[in-house]
Amino acid sequence: MVELKTQLPRIFDSFAQARQDGFLAMKKLKDSGTGVVGQFCTYTPQEIFMAAGLVTVGLCATSDETIPDAEKDLPSNLCPLIKSSYGFAITDKCPYMYFSDLVVGETTCDGKVKMYELLGKIKNVHILELPKRQNTPQAKALWREELVRLKERVEKDFHVTITDEMLQEAIRRRNMERKLLKELYELSTLTPPPLTGMRQLQVLFGAQFKFNWEEKIKEIGNAIAGIRQAYDAGERPVPASAPRILVTGCPIGGVTEKVVRVIEEAGGVVVVFENCTGAKQMDRQCREEGDPLTNIADHYLQIGCAVMTPDTNRFELLERLCEQFHIDGVVEMTLQACHPYAVEAHSVKLFMQERNIPYLQLETDYSTADIGQLSTRAGAFVEML
Amino acid sequence: MGQVSIGIDCGSAACKGVLFLDGAVKAATVRPTGWNPKETAKAVLDELIVKAGAKREELSITATGYGRVGIDFAERKVTEITCHALGADFILPGVRTVVDIGGQDSKVISVKDGKVQSFQMNDKCAAGTGRFLEMSAHRMGVDMSGFAALLKEGKSCAISSMCAVFADSEIVSLLASGKSREEVAGGIVNSVAARTAALAARIEMESPILLTGGLSELVGLKKALEVQFQLPVITSELSRFAGAIGAARKGLS
Ligand code: SF4
Ligand code: SF4
Repeated sequence: MVELKTQLPRIFDSFAQARQDGFLAMKKLKDSGTGVVGQFCTYTPQEIFMAAGLVTVGLCATSDETIPDAEKDLPSNLCPLIKSSYGFAITDKCPYMYFSDLVVGETTCDGKVKMYELLGKIKNVHILELPKRQNTPQAKALWREELVRLKERVEKDFHVTITDEMLQEAIRRRNMERKLLKELYELSTLTPPPLTGMRQLQVLFGAQFKFNWEEKIKEIGNAIAGIRQAYDAGERPVPASAPRILVTGCPIGGVTEKVVRVIEEAGGVVVVFENCTGAKQMDRQCREEGDPLTNIADHYLQIGCAVMTPDTNRFELLERLCEQFHIDGVVEMTLQACHPYAVEAHSVKLFMQERNIPYLQLETDYSTADIGQLSTRAGAFVEML
Repeated sequence: MGQVSIGIDCGSAACKGVLFLDGAVKAATVRPTGWNPKETAKAVLDELIVKAGAKREELSITATGYGRVGIDFAERKVTEITCHALGADFILPGVRTVVDIGGQDSKVISVKDGKVQSFQMNDKCAAGTGRFLEMSAHRMGVDMSGFAALLKEGKSCAISSMCAVFADSEIVSLLASGKSREEVAGGIVNSVAARTAALAARIEMESPILLTGGLSELVGLKKALEVQFQLPVITSELSRFAGAIGAARKGLS
């Protein structure tokens, strides 16, 4: 056990570097003949690829390196996530994009949808029609149909047959992963939390670039045990007085870690992320009994995201997390030109006002030029809590 | 000596400092920030110490403003939002809204008992800031006091450009088309006031409203803001020191 604690920094580093280190691991997998599917969005039902023995990787770019290239084809006032992802694709600078045999996208926001059309000219792209409603029988039926179509596409492109048993096993595995990552971030319900928001994000974000499932499960388990042990031994990486912040909004990770950094440098601590890399994805379990494809479809369709209308599930989750994590303030990160989240931000603000929870919206992009501005805003926000 | 606290507000254009003793401003000074905020802040500090005859050892120093990061001799650093609220509450006890139009940003802060309730900030775009007014004055060949004089008669004309760069060329063509400098100056101030009102519309605006920052002495701006807000706007000769006063108060708490 003592060993675990001393290993903790190494475990954290391993997650922090997972995206970088994953390049080699993926090359090996490719060389050994494993197929790779690239995805952009939390609505992508990974179980289908997992069932087929394929590796899934997130393609959402998180740096501004290729934005100038992307702007040759795309308008400049477009969400940086879309621009940079496309930029990495056309410049062949992202190994994950390069290795992907199939890229799966959904009809989420308009910018992404149109970008996928362009991407389709250079990559093997499959688009899922994601409904904007979550509770009508028509929406549910359409989405399930779309998953059937996806399953058939995967079977055809990779010359495999996906059985119900395989899907069931994939659901079980993904559930276990969700449960463990949830257990990890729920450690921060403690006061003071046993880890900073920066660390938590590194683990959540890094986990998606660990391609060996068994090892990943073991590593997350070790991280949880190590953090617990260190805490029990009296280690307190965060002072009890630090205001507890919930971060919500657009996908976060990579360069947008800066939002977490400025909050924590100002003396706050991020205890939970209601973003795609966080609770949005891990909060619920997928049903295991019954028709697996229906279960997968039902599970994914209920993810709360601003592309849905009405986006009831996001607010339900926000409310629950605010209580569970004893939240002192909510910070919403919106990426420049992201209409779904920027418009919904107003509803989130009102929602928090009704509950007397201070709220701050930070708009940012993939550059580092606005660090000073962000830290003044985040600083003033933390000072007022 | 009693409890001495110094607040230094190092903004993009000017570095302000106050020395607080027994709950009152004993000395205040301001100088252009220049290219080296840290050196300037040091000079402000030295000047305050001399003015008040204080000893360096008995001082508590708090820095704020965008240059605060580099001020390594400060005991604490606090954002300008918090400091403006606290300073405004000293200048005008019971203040509910602070409007600060600074050199490179502008902000509207909702305040209660000197504490920030919420705030809105524009720091991404030059239009609506002091820099924009300075640039425009320069374009018309006057300094800020000359600009203030142009505003006396309350004339104005419409300026439609939302961007400082385009407004700059619009000013040139307005002047060329025969508009007077008084009218153009009025138009510019109105556009800054309109931008500020748009910012203010995003928070709950309540009276009393205090205008702070270097432009608080510009009577024409105060009037234009009152028209936009449809509420009275108060200024004070201490207004430009609001951030520094807030910092000094922070050092006492
Ligand atoms: S924020 Fe919404 S659209 Fe974007 S990746 Fe997440 S689930 Fe998909
Ligand atoms: S952040 Fe917003 S605009 Fe960008 S891809 Fe996601 S939903 Fe679309």
